[in-house]
Amino acid sequence: MAKLTIPAQELLRSGHSACPGCAPALAMRLMLKGLGPRTIVSIPACCWTVIDTPYPTTALGVAMLDNPIESTGASISGLRAAADALGIPDVTILGFAGDGGTADIGLQALSGMLERRTNAIYAMYDNEAYMNTGVQRSGATPLGAWTTTTPVGEGSHGKAEPKKDVMGIVLAHHPVYAATVNPSFPEDFVKKVEKARDLSGPRFFHIFAPCPPGWRYPSDQSIEIGKRATDCGVFPLYEVMDGHYHITRKGGALKPVREYFQAQGRFSHLGDADLDRVQAQVTADWNRLVRLESET
Amino acid sequence: MAAVIEIRFHGRGGQGAVVASELLAQAAFLDGKWPQSFPFFGVERRGAPVTAYTRIDTHPLGVRTSITTPDVVVVLEPSLLRTQPVTDGLRDGGLLLVNSSHPAEELVLPAGGRRAAVDANRIAVTHGLGSLTMPIVNTAMLGALAAVTDVVSMEALDRAIQEFVPARRPENQAAASDGYHDVRVVGGTLPFTPSVPRAAAATLPLPEGPMASESSERYHTADWRTLRPVIHLEKCTRCNFCWKFCPDDAFSFDAEGYPVLRTDYCKGCGICAVECPPRAIEMVEEA
Amino acid sequence: MTLQVMSGNSAQSYAAALARVHVIAAYPITPQTTIVEKLADFAASGQLPAQFVKVESEHSALQVCVSASSLGARTYTATSSQGLLLMHELLHWAAGLRTPIVMGVVNRAVAPPWNLGADHTDTMSQRDTGWVQFYAESNQEVLDTVLQAYRLAEDPAVRLPVMVTEDAFYLSHTVEPVEVPAQTEVDAFLPAREARAVLVPGRAARLGSFTGPDHYVEFRHEVAQAMARVPEVFRGVEEDYRSRMHRYHGGAVATYRVDDADAVLVTMGTMSTTARSVVDELRAEGRKVGLAKLRLFRPFPAAEFRELAGLVDRIGVVDRSFTFGAEGPAATEVAAAIYSGPHHPFLTNYMVGLGGREVTPQLVRAIFDRLLGAEGPGTRWMDLPQDAGEVTHG
Repeated sequence: MAKLTIPAQELLRSGHSACPGCAPALAMRLMLKGLGPRTIVSIPACCWTVIDTPYPTTALGVAMLDNPIESTGASISGLRAAADALGIPDVTILGFAGDGGTADIGLQALSGMLERRTNAIYAMYDNEAYMNTGVQRSGATPLGAWTTTTPVGEGSHGKAEPKKDVMGIVLAHHPVYAATVNPSFPEDFVKKVEKARDLSGPRFFHIFAPCPPGWRYPSDQSIEIGKRATDCGVFPLYEVMDGHYHITRKGGALKPVREYFQAQGRFSHLGDADLDRVQAQVTADWNRLVRLESET
Repeated sequence: MAAVIEIRFHGRGGQGAVVASELLAQAAFLDGKWPQSFPFFGVERRGAPVTAYTRIDTHPLGVRTSITTPDVVVVLEPSLLRTQPVTDGLRDGGLLLVNSSHPAEELVLPAGGRRAAVDANRIAVTHGLGSLTMPIVNTAMLGALAAVTDVVSMEALDRAIQEFVPARRPENQAAASDGYHDVRVVGGTLPFTPSVPRAAAATLPLPEGPMASESSERYHTADWRTLRPVIHLEKCTRCNFCWKFCPDDAFSFDAEGYPVLRTDYCKGCGICAVECPPRAIEMVEEA
Repeated sequence: MTLQVMSGNSAQSYAAALARVHVIAAYPITPQTTIVEKLADFAASGQLPAQFVKVESEHSALQVCVSASSLGARTYTATSSQGLLLMHELLHWAAGLRTPIVMGVVNRAVAPPWNLGADHTDTMSQRDTGWVQFYAESNQEVLDTVLQAYRLAEDPAVRLPVMVTEDAFYLSHTVEPVEVPAQTEVDAFLPAREARAVLVPGRAARLGSFTGPDHYVEFRHEVAQAMARVPEVFRGVEEDYRSRMHRYHGGAVATYRVDDADAVLVTMGTMSTTARSVVDELRAEGRKVGLAKLRLFRPFPAAEFRELAGLVDRIGVVDRSFTFGAEGPAATEVAAAIYSGPHHPFLTNYMVGLGGREVTPQLVRAIFDRLLGAEGPGTRWMDLPQDAGEVTHG
């Protein structure tokens, strides 16, 4: 048998209520492989509230606290303060929130947690819309995407505004570590989580989290969609430590964004002109990232 | 006839059971009836069991509760017959209508009874509704319902599809028509089965505060799947990719390092089959 | 035990420090700010070995306390007015998770228009959140009640959050002598929190969870039962405090000269002091009046009011907040409490002191005059001219 490339320990239990092919479920599995059993995770209202299964069961092999949708940043500050005040050793505090609970309604609490240098990890699993309520647009929904509140029809062409740059917002707070991760690249994912685990201070993960029903693609394509997103530059894998950028996956020339967009029903109304504009933006963003890496 | 007709739909998240119950209500209204329909909100996830209800009467209804003693049970997914108590409370003389590729005679009911079967998966796929793994069968099933009961007329159903189905209206009209013509019913009366109440509230002492500490592994999410991975070990290179990418932690290893499917938990998403480098995993239809 | 001249806000701070809180989280708002400033000083000087989390909103302040308490920490926060309103969602969380948080609230009017004065609208609009609510009359009562609140909140039979309120400026910024118990005395009265039903690193458990209708009812009922156990537990707490510290504030409802009274006023907070003096003056004039100070508002001390209803012919409830479309909330509660008892005295409602309007001895005297005379139904807004001051719902 080949050597395992990620830790064997499973802290995500089977029997959970995620949809088939759910990347946020896989993301939690990988996150906890990296952080280990002495993790306390605070989770706001999001898909994971439901994925974890109803009382009296839980799908996590670690301690978990529920919190309302907008206060994950504050919740992990409270958990850290208690752990420090009570002298609880070797505990990792994790906030695990969706894009709506992070980029929209939870942005204030996230900013507060980063600014007061809370020694905790905040992870945003980004499925690019309010999926738990049935696919409504969030600030993290990309330009042009269909959602139930950005319909496609006469006078509407999917979301009219670009995606909020959450990494940019987070990096403006100068966290000790911030990284993008993608469950399609589990080794890179877990390696970054293990690195973050051993640091102290505010740490942030932006997790790419494809959603088969919300993005309108077959459930067996979650990993393929993720690979394309990174390889075409829509979701580059990088980390920023002490202000230094490091791109952790560079596969030569970027693949065309078309392959990524055309695999998803939420973009099926976009035409060549739309995709050309997207391609230009993605290329510019990638070049900027490469420049940041060389300059920092 | 009884003043009120009660219909209970059983399906999976994503199959259109809730839409079916609403569409039936719209069609019944076009027939001049007074309908009521609503879903049971639980843990609706793509593939998870879903229940929805429709009541049809000639005058405003005086009850707003779940349907526990239905006249008709419509099952949109045959595997639910094994895993869900779909016939609970079905009335004496009631009807069980199932989406199945098998003839109605082969449907096994606890005590015999009237049952009808229609291959709605095939109809849906023929008309391009949904996908092969998740066909949207609701309109085909409603067509079948119109054929084997008098709860709704085919004319009203056809009009309701034209007015209220958001997309692919001609295909859905055709699917309803196919369901109407293809359904087969077999007779006999079904003895009345008393309704089994929902899982009773905890009688054990609750913890101090809402602290959940039992394992989710009590839920056998295999109930959700329509496709099942079959591992061809002769092609397997023991690379672990199936295990690594599984969102449901549904793989373990045998002593030699070959993957073993934890069949109780696999939801049949198919990621393992796509990611398997030597293509040693095949997705086959659940029997 | 030392006697120090201090404000109500300082009394809050000293009590939290004496309780040896582990975690404090607060956001500034007038007139609460000096509570957290003093606690920040205590923490910065090393006098109080607590984690002081400087948050970016009151919502986050209470979330920090809820999460810290979920891990077993003893926590404190304080707020007022708009800040309390922003906390509303978390108030429900704190009670539902059974976190024994203690919070100081400076009762201040709610905008618009902006107003900093004393007013009970902020806490009255939180009465359905599952928090125990105490209203204090003096700075001494503030300090003593905060210490009692921790014992009550952490009692295994209760495990509910408690707010201890004080009127803006009339207590928050009023200095007066307060007896401060020694740390050893407080330690003997208030031992370390027993960590029950809290999260433990390495143990797989989810606090909060979600349920269908099946278990939800049971969890709500548990909170209701815990609230129902508060009066008895609090009696024990107060008696123990009395035996150790030799101070007693009169239970859930502190009555004064009610035994042979014709008319009794029900008051809350600082107006009680003034009203008590007026009772003495009227008694000296030969008028049989008394006072019932409502100290514990949640759970509502219904039994005490049923008993009072058997002693007097007329009860006037004085409210410092108004429920639009109904009446003063204390009046509603008193009426509901005595309805199920055998005695139904005449009951009426007076609205005073909104937004810091003064509650003077003359005003209290005028209320007694009305209550003893021919009083009509409805709520009488005493701060308005008589022809403008009636609000009656048909």
